[in-house]
Amino acid sequence: MKSGISSIAATVTLCIGAYGASAQEEVAGGTTLYGDLQSVTQSMLTRAAGDGNNFLHTNGNYAQTRYYPASQINTSNVKNLRPAWVFQTEVVDTMETSPIVVNGIMYVTTAFNHVYALDARTGKQIWHHKHSMGPVTTYCCGPNNRGVAVAGDKVFFGTLDAKLVALDAKTGKQLWETQIAEPELGYSETMAPSVVEDMVLIGTNGGEYGIRGFVKAFDTETGEEKWTFHTVPEDSVGVWTTEDATGRNMHRDIEAEKAALAEQGDPYETLGGGVWQNPAVDLETRRLYFVVGNPSPDLDGSLRPGDNLYTDSLVSVDLDTGEYVCHLQYIAHDVWDLDAVSPPIITTVKDASGNDVKGVLHGGKTGHVYVHNADDCSLIRFSEAMVPQEDMWTLPTAEGARMLPGANGGVEWSPMAIDPNHRLSYAINLHQPMTYTVRSTPYPEGKLWLGGSFDVIPDEEQWGNVTAVDYDTGDIAWQVRTEQPMIGGILATAGGLVFTGEGNGLFKAYDSSNGGELWRFQAGAGVNAPPSSYTVEGQQYIVVAAGGNAQLNFKRGNNIIAFTLAD
Amino acid sequence: MRLPFVALTLSLAASPVLAMEDFVLEDEVALCMSCHGDAGVPIEPDYPVIWGQQYFYIYTQLRDYGAGRRQNDIMTPVAAEYDRDQAKLLAEHFAALAWPDIPAEIQDGDEQLAERGITGGQCSACHGKWQGDSRIPRLAGQQVGYLRKTMLDFKNEVRMNAPDKISTMKQLDEETIDALSRYLATIDIQ
Ligand code: HEC
Repeated sequence: MKSGISSIAATVTLCIGAYGASAQEEVAGGTTLYGDLQSVTQSMLTRAAGDGNNFLHTNGNYAQTRYYPASQINTSNVKNLRPAWVFQTEVVDTMETSPIVVNGIMYVTTAFNHVYALDARTGKQIWHHKHSMGPVTTYCCGPNNRGVAVAGDKVFFGTLDAKLVALDAKTGKQLWETQIAEPELGYSETMAPSVVEDMVLIGTNGGEYGIRGFVKAFDTETGEEKWTFHTVPEDSVGVWTTEDATGRNMHRDIEAEKAALAEQGDPYETLGGGVWQNPAVDLETRRLYFVVGNPSPDLDGSLRPGDNLYTDSLVSVDLDTGEYVCHLQYIAHDVWDLDAVSPPIITTVKDASGNDVKGVLHGGKTGHVYVHNADDCSLIRFSEAMVPQEDMWTLPTAEGARMLPGANGGVEWSPMAIDPNHRLSYAINLHQPMTYTVRSTPYPEGKLWLGGSFDVIPDEEQWGNVTAVDYDTGDIAWQVRTEQPMIGGILATAGGLVFTGEGNGLFKAYDSSNGGELWRFQAGAGVNAPPSSYTVEGQQYIVVAAGGNAQLNFKRGNNIIAFTLAD
Repeated sequence: MRLPFVALTLSLAASPVLAMEDFVLEDEVALCMSCHGDAGVPIEPDYPVIWGQQYFYIYTQLRDYGAGRRQNDIMTPVAAEYDRDQAKLLAEHFAALAWPDIPAEIQDGDEQLAERGITGGQCSACHGKWQGDSRIPRLAGQQVGYLRKTMLDFKNEVRMNAPDKISTMKQLDEETIDALSRYLATIDIQ
C-alpha cells in the first residue's frame, strides 16, 4: 500500500508541472511541448484509477471503483475542509451529475440537459450549452442527467429526448447528435455515456414505458451506430425459476404463466429492461459488465410470462461486438421493481474457497451487495441485508400489499464505491416502506406503464444509511443511520475517507475504516449526486452537486460546490 | 431499433381517426375557445385550462379522446374529427399561448394534506414542480374544479387513459383530493 501512495504522489507532481506548462504555452499558440493537454487520450482513460489530478469517468475509472487515489485530504485534516467556490447553474432542479475534471476544466450537467464547462480552480464558467430539446421527452423519475463522458477533444451526453450529443470540449459547440431511439415510445436518456477507444457506450431509460432495452455503441467521430445489445432477447422465457438469486421463493404461478405464454407469445418487444448506469469495462478481457433494470409493466406479471430475461440481471457482453457472454438474474419475473440499477464494480474478491479472483460487485435494491465471479457472472455470495426486509416475496394485490424494501431500494441508482485496501464496499441505502398494488392494463403505446403503483406508506418512518460491506465475507463492517432515505452516490479516497450527501442538505465525510463521522457541511439543498475529486496546482478538491432530488422530493437547488483544505 | 418503429406505425394505422376535410385552424380554434375561453380562462370551473399547456400532452389527449381511450361526452366528438397532423396544429397553437392567471384560494390544513398525498404517491418523480414537461401536463394554476374532477375520474375509473394514475388516486381519500386540487391551483410558477 505504501509504495502505491508514493507512486501516486509522483504522478501528481509530474502532472502539476505539465499543467503549469500548458497554461503558459497556450498563450503562445494552443499546443505545448507535451501536446494538447486538454485532450483526453485513451491512455489517460485507461489509467484513470491511478490519476490523482483528473476525474475522467463517471465512476472514477473503468472498473468503476469510485476510489480516488489522492490523499492530500485525509482523516487527520478533513476537519479543515471548506468550500473553495460555489457555481450556480441556470436550472434550479434535481441534480445527479458526476463532475468530470480534465486538467483543471470541469464538466457538469443539470436537469433538462444543460452542460457547463467550469474552471475547476475558481468555479468560473467557461461555456454553457443548452440542448435544444425536441417536443417529446420522457422520464419516470425526474428530468435528470447524470453527467458527461470525455474523450479526445469531445464531451458526450445523452438527452431526455433520447439523443446522444457530442460537443467540442473547448467551446461547447455541438459537433454531432444521433437519435438513439424513438422518444414517443418512451425511450430517453439520463445516464452519462462511457467512452472506450472509438466507441461511446450508452443504455436507455424506459422500463416504465414498455420499451425494449439496449446498450449501444456509437462511433466517437461520427455518431454512427457500431453495435446494439438488446437487453431482452427474442426468447425471454428462461428456465421458470421460482427462487430469487438468494434462494427465496417468489411465489410465481408457473402454470398460469405457461398458459399465458401459449396464448400471448413471448413479450420481448415491450418487456422493458432499461440500462440506467454505466458499464464496468475490463480491457484485459475486452468485456463489459452492466446491470439491466425492471421488466415492463413493473407490477403486472400477467402480461409477461417467463423469467423476463435479462431484466434484473448482471450481464456481460463483448466490448467489440456487443455479443452476449454471460448473465446472472437476481429476480426472475420481478413484480416489485426491485431491479438492478447501481453500476457494477470490478475488483479482486475472494471466491468460495478463499482464492483471489476477478469479481464484480453490485449493490441491489433488495439491500444485498452481490459478489460475482467476473469470468462466468456466477454468484459467489451476497451480503447481509443492508436494510430491513419484511415479507419477501409478497405478491402485489389489487388493494396494495406491504413488503420491505420499498420499490426504491435498498440501493437505488446510486453508485457504490470500494476501498480495495480495506476490501470494503460502500453503499447508500433507502428504507421507505411501501405498498405494492397491481392493476393490469394493456400496453399503452409509449405511455407510462407501471401496471399498478408503489405507494409510500405516509405514516411509517423513513430513513437511510451508509453501509460498508466486507465483500470477501458478505458481512456488514459498519453502518451509519441517516435522517432520510439516501439517493445520490458515494466516493472513497486514499485519504481514508468516504464522502456522501443527504436530502436534508448535509454533505459528510466518514472514516472509511469504521464509519466515524469526521466532517459535515450544510449545502442548503439536497446533496443527491455522486461526489468527485481532483487536484489542481497541487491542491486537492472534493466536488459535489447540491440540487435536490425529484424522485424523493428533496429540496431543489442549483449549486456545484468544490471544497478544499483551508490554508 | 427497427421493431419499435414497426410497432409505432402499426398503432397509428390502427387508429380510427380520419382527417377532417377543409380544416381551417382559426375556425377550430374558435370552437375550442368557446369552452376553453377566449383569453385562456375556461367558461366553466371544471373545464381545464389549455392555454400554455404542454404541446405533447395536448396532442396525446386529443388523440386519446378521438380514439376513445379517454371518454368524455363533450371532448370525444370534438377530437374525433382530427387526424394526427391537425391535432398537432391545434396542440402547437394552444401550447404557444400564455397560461392565464386564475385566482384560487387555499384553506387551512390543505398544504399538510396535499404534501402527505404527494409523498405517498411519489408525485414529484414525474410532476416535478408542477410546471409540466412534454407528456406531463402543467398542473400549477390549473382550475380547482377540473383538478378535482379529473383526479376523481381516475379514482372512480372514469378516466382511463393514464391507468397507473388510477392506482395512485385510489390511495387518496376525497378530502386529500380536495386539498390537493386547491393546493395545485394556487401554485404560482410565473
Ligand atoms: C363544448 C365545450 C368544449 C369544446 C368545444 C372543446 N373542449 Fe376541450 N374540454 C372540454 C371539457 C369539459 C374538458 C374536460 C373533459 C374531461 O374531463 O375529460 C376538455 C378537455 C380538453 C383537454 C384535456 C385537458 C387536460 O388537462 O387533460 C384538451 C387538451 C382539450 N380539451 C382541448 C380542446 C381543443 C383543442 C378543442 C378545440 C378543438 C376543445 N378542447 C374544444 C370542453 C370543450
